[in-house]
Amino acid sequence: MAFLLGPILLVVAIGFSSGDTVEFPPPGFSLRWFDQALSNSSFQQGLLTSLLVAAAATLFALVLGIPVALAVQRHTFRGHKTVETLFLSPAIVPELVLGFALFQQLMVTMRITALGALLIGHTVLLLPYAVRVTGASLALSDPALEEAARGLGAGPLRTFFTITLPVMAPGIVSAAVLSFLTSFNNVPLSLLLKGPGISTLPVEMLNYVQFSYDPMVAAVSTLLLAATVGAALLTERLVGFNKVFSR
Amino acid sequence: MSRKATLGLLLAPGLALLAFGFAFPFVVTLFAPPAADHPDVLGKLGAMLTDSYVLGVLARTVRVAVTVTLVCLVFGFPTAYLIARAPKSRQGLLLALAVFPLLLSTVVRTFSWLVILGRNGLISDAVLATGLTDRPPELLYTEFALVAGLTQLFMPLMILTSYSSLSHIDPGLEDAARGLGASPGRAFRQIVLPLALPGVLVGGTLVFAGAVTAFTTPLLLGGSRNRTLATLLYDYANVKLDWGGASAVALIMTVLVLVVGWASGRISAKVATS
Repeated sequence: MAFLLGPILLVVAIGFSSGDTVEFPPPGFSLRWFDQALSNSSFQQGLLTSLLVAAAATLFALVLGIPVALAVQRHTFRGHKTVETLFLSPAIVPELVLGFALFQQLMVTMRITALGALLIGHTVLLLPYAVRVTGASLALSDPALEEAARGLGAGPLRTFFTITLPVMAPGIVSAAVLSFLTSFNNVPLSLLLKGPGISTLPVEMLNYVQFSYDPMVAAVSTLLLAATVGAALLTERLVGFNKVFSR
Repeated sequence: MSRKATLGLLLAPGLALLAFGFAFPFVVTLFAPPAADHPDVLGKLGAMLTDSYVLGVLARTVRVAVTVTLVCLVFGFPTAYLIARAPKSRQGLLLALAVFPLLLSTVVRTFSWLVILGRNGLISDAVLATGLTDRPPELLYTEFALVAGLTQLFMPLMILTSYSSLSHIDPGLEDAARGLGASPGRAFRQIVLPLALPGVLVGGTLVFAGAVTAFTTPLLLGGSRNRTLATLLYDYANVKLDWGGASAVALIMTVLVLVVGWASGRISAKVATS
């Protein structure tokens, strides 16, 4: 546990440093690096791109993934297993390879913009999470509920919105949180699919760390840590944190 | 609406995205890159597999990934066991603490190792303070740095998968074995270990695949001296602009991950039936 969490706390301590370079223990306490980080234009731009891409890709992945989860969990058909494996396969392939493939085919050959390629790539990356996590909540629920609703005269759409969707809600929240963070934190795809003005926050941080060695990235990290703790606590209140990871 | 039509409607949008955004670019890039200079991927691949530099990178990648997997196993499994045997009320919190780092950016988690292992880092300061030497040890940009960073990155995966199989084992089974005269060690070996093996295998595969394909950590901690397949691929794609070469590295990396995943699946299936 100390091995897992210690280094992260170290970064937080350095974020509050008053020194000019990264040193531990910090020479004094100050918020100057937070101030610098928040007014850094490439970090601001990166944060905006990251939030936009993560939100949109999460939404797309859920909209495409929930129907797939329904098909896989509630229907029996030939090639059932193959379809399931197919939708989980983007998670097996190295992200960097996927990023390179998308860069070549979508950006270079088809001339799709960086933002477009980024959105497509992230949606593909998140699709397995969306299918698996929402599918897990479906697998735990009783199909008899839906059959009862249909038997009582509700149409398929009404059954979906009044029965199935509420039953899936915890799974959808878990999938959304996990997807959002996965997209937000992704480096390999985002690094290869960047264009003028389109670069995500982790990529900007990576570039910065490679050339300068000061506590600014530690300050950004501390802010991200705080936001992630916040998201985790909120999820805990909504559905239970461990449910997010139980699949 | 017929069942078939419903099914088609549910699956079609997702399949369309997979085809366009995954299968198509993937296959074309790996096997038939249509770039202007017609890079011959298989030719490049052949050249690479006899190139001692590339073979060295491949060997390093596998060596580091195996080490990371073993270290994660040695420390992660006991941690998971302790969590699974902790009082129920505390398991949630302990697991959340162990798994929380997964939600953080790899850049954040790797940055801390720059602080610990760097030239003016914690360890070199400590070594200098002992007065035994006046030259700080070279820790950053070594394989040791890679192993340390990647272990910290992927340990939560091992804890998580081990925990999920351990938590399904009834502690009563272990108690029964003890009651029938088995030593704690024997009860653990004969009862807990076989039941937990599938989870451990999944965890090991995830850690290995993660360590082979990780990019940020080798970039920051391995530098150009200790390249792995991932940083080599990036170098070909973005610095040398040799896309045929990049495709060949991508092919090696993908095959490596798929073969290990397949093998672990086979072992798991064997264990389950025996």
